Amino acid sequence: MEKEHEIIDKLQQFLKEDVLETKVPRDRRVFVSIRPEALKKAVGFLVNDLEFKHLSTITGSDLGEDLELIYHLAYKGSIELSVKTTIPKNNPSVPTITDAIPGAVLYEREVHDLLGVVFEGHPDLSPLILPEDWPQGVYPLRKEEKFEELRKIGSK
Amino acid sequence: MGYGSTIKVPFGPQHPALKEPANFIFDVDGDIVVGIKPRIGYNHRGMEKAFELRTYLQNVYLAERICGICSDAHATAYVQGVEELLGAEVPPRAKYIRVIVAELERLHSHSLWVGVAAHEIGFDTLFMYLWRDREAVMNLLELISGNRVHYAMNTIGGVRRDIPADLIPKIKQALDFLEERTKYYLNMVKTEQTILKRTVGVGVLPPKDAVDLCAVGPTLRASGIKNDVRADDPYAAYGEIPFNVITHDQGDVFSRMLVRVEEMLESVNMTRYALDHMPAGMIRVKVPMAVPKGEAVSRVEAPRGELIHYAKSNGTTKLERYKVRSPTLGNIPAVCKTLMGGHLADVPIILAGIDPCFSCMDRMAFVDVKTSKHWVWTTQELKRHTSK
Amino acid sequence: MKAFDWARTKSPWVIHFNTGGCNGCDIELVAALTPGFDVERFGILLEGSPRHADILAVTGPVTSQVKDRLVRIYEQMPEPKHVVAIGACALSGAPFKDCYCVHGGIDTILPVDAYVPGCPPKPEAIIDGIAKLIGKLKKGEEVGKGT
Repeated sequence: MEKEHEIIDKLQQFLKEDVLETKVPRDRRVFVSIRPEALKKAVGFLVNDLEFKHLSTITGSDLGEDLELIYHLAYKGSIELSVKTTIPKNNPSVPTITDAIPGAVLYEREVHDLLGVVFEGHPDLSPLILPEDWPQGVYPLRKEEKFEELRKIGSK
Repeated sequence: MGYGSTIKVPFGPQHPALKEPANFIFDVDGDIVVGIKPRIGYNHRGMEKAFELRTYLQNVYLAERICGICSDAHATAYVQGVEELLGAEVPPRAKYIRVIVAELERLHSHSLWVGVAAHEIGFDTLFMYLWRDREAVMNLLELISGNRVHYAMNTIGGVRRDIPADLIPKIKQALDFLEERTKYYLNMVKTEQTILKRTVGVGVLPPKDAVDLCAVGPTLRASGIKNDVRADDPYAAYGEIPFNVITHDQGDVFSRMLVRVEEMLESVNMTRYALDHMPAGMIRVKVPMAVPKGEAVSRVEAPRGELIHYAKSNGTTKLERYKVRSPTLGNIPAVCKTLMGGHLADVPIILAGIDPCFSCMDRMAFVDVKTSKHWVWTTQELKRHTSK
Repeated sequence: MKAFDWARTKSPWVIHFNTGGCNGCDIELVAALTPGFDVERFGILLEGSPRHADILAVTGPVTSQVKDRLVRIYEQMPEPKHVVAIGACALSGAPFKDCYCVHGGIDTILPVDAYVPGCPPKPEAIIDGIAKLIGKLKKGEEVGKGT
């Protein structure tokens, strides 16, 4: 687990108090929570300096008052680092990372569709997977969207 | 990636006026693709939310049905994530059985794909031969699990069925047959002009783009990047089974074909090795119904590439959040890049080159940038038009 | 074999459509075309255009995205036309029944003449289902929901 801890040390040195929490639950799995303001800086550092060139996906979750974004990055396909950050639900916006990782383009669109997160600077946040006539402002993965209501919309 | 207008007007007698969902919108200038916008969603069923409704055990059934071709890959990714959350230690024999089923799935999936690719090129004889020989794998899967598709071998804590010793000679006999046939197809792929003309130099993805666009699986490895979850982030019994990660470096559709066929040979060897070295013992451990709070990232090398699942538990018998990213989604930005500047006639084979889910890729919308004409075609219509 | 009876007269042309399933049923349907099962020896042909098809073989649980297209394909088929629902999803929506974006079962949208259960049904079962439907049609029997 040497490499995993080395990664955490380097991140902490670079981001300092922007790193809120870290954990290494097992081999090849690292979780780091950071402040949203440090996201762009962190991704740039991870891609360019620490060789985390592969973005596996971006997970969005509804925590209730806030939305959580998890960027799953891989080091040489091997160590999977999950960078977590939390943003307020009433103003869910983060900068895009498509300038550092062009492959993020569809993952950001998906999180936008299902949770309503705005990725500033994204070239085109138009709907990716929801049906053509899906009502604006209804984000299926938000906890307040209940199944019965969603099913009514979906089965029109 | 160019993003054209999203207004699509259906074209022709088969598509009377009404909006038509398409998975790609192409901007075309004559015969050349100048812009592409992906807009998938044909298959969107809302599964991630559905995962939250069911118990952990019920979700194994759901996870399998994310995809009928790599159902075991999804099931494996799911149970591994939950086992990590539980701190459950899967018995070694179960890990070997997981490898055997996973590699048999890779064999069926890759041979299915080569057949489909042959069909895209118009080489239907090869398609028929391949699918006939593929039945040998389907029979094996049925022999081992009781079903040809959705094998339900995985459960939380291990596997549900053992591979008894008396099955092993039958399996090995089928593997010998498959190996011989695969070698024959490998030779054919390398020498048959019909295939070479339509795939060599077509849909080239340079290594830098493959990495920047986060491509996965055979698409990535055909551009020379040696990444394979089985080798880089071993799971099940892969850490104990020797195998080669296949790469080719021309980055074209031909390379993607070679990677898959050669991977089939590796899969045969790995299955043989696993059968010979499978330890004795239990095939599953009992696990509790409620899962302690936590989160886990589970990765699997599905036939189409890196599959990643993220699970978050909240101490109850149901999931808090489940996220699935299938490999095909990971390859769409890369395939869009390879389509840019290419001919319309190459669109079907290049799209097929990433081995996408069948129904996902059958509808395409077009916008002619010079005349502003819009229309929607199925793959068949595109082929009919471009083969004139 | 009963199959030879109707193969002698009209050979049915089947159009296949997936309404958002996992592709399991579709792969088994395509497998039915291949030498192992060879549905063409019964005279059943898989057609590309609804305008030439007698039978619509549908898989999948009908996602919202696809519903209009399914109806349109059905409307383009000439009479007499029939629908075979293949697989648990097509029968009832199966595991996706309660998902948003899923209608659940072909018969919520179209009249279905034959149901082939399975997840997925084996190629033999699919051929059998289509053959049974054709058998009933030849005999002039009533076909409809629940057949």
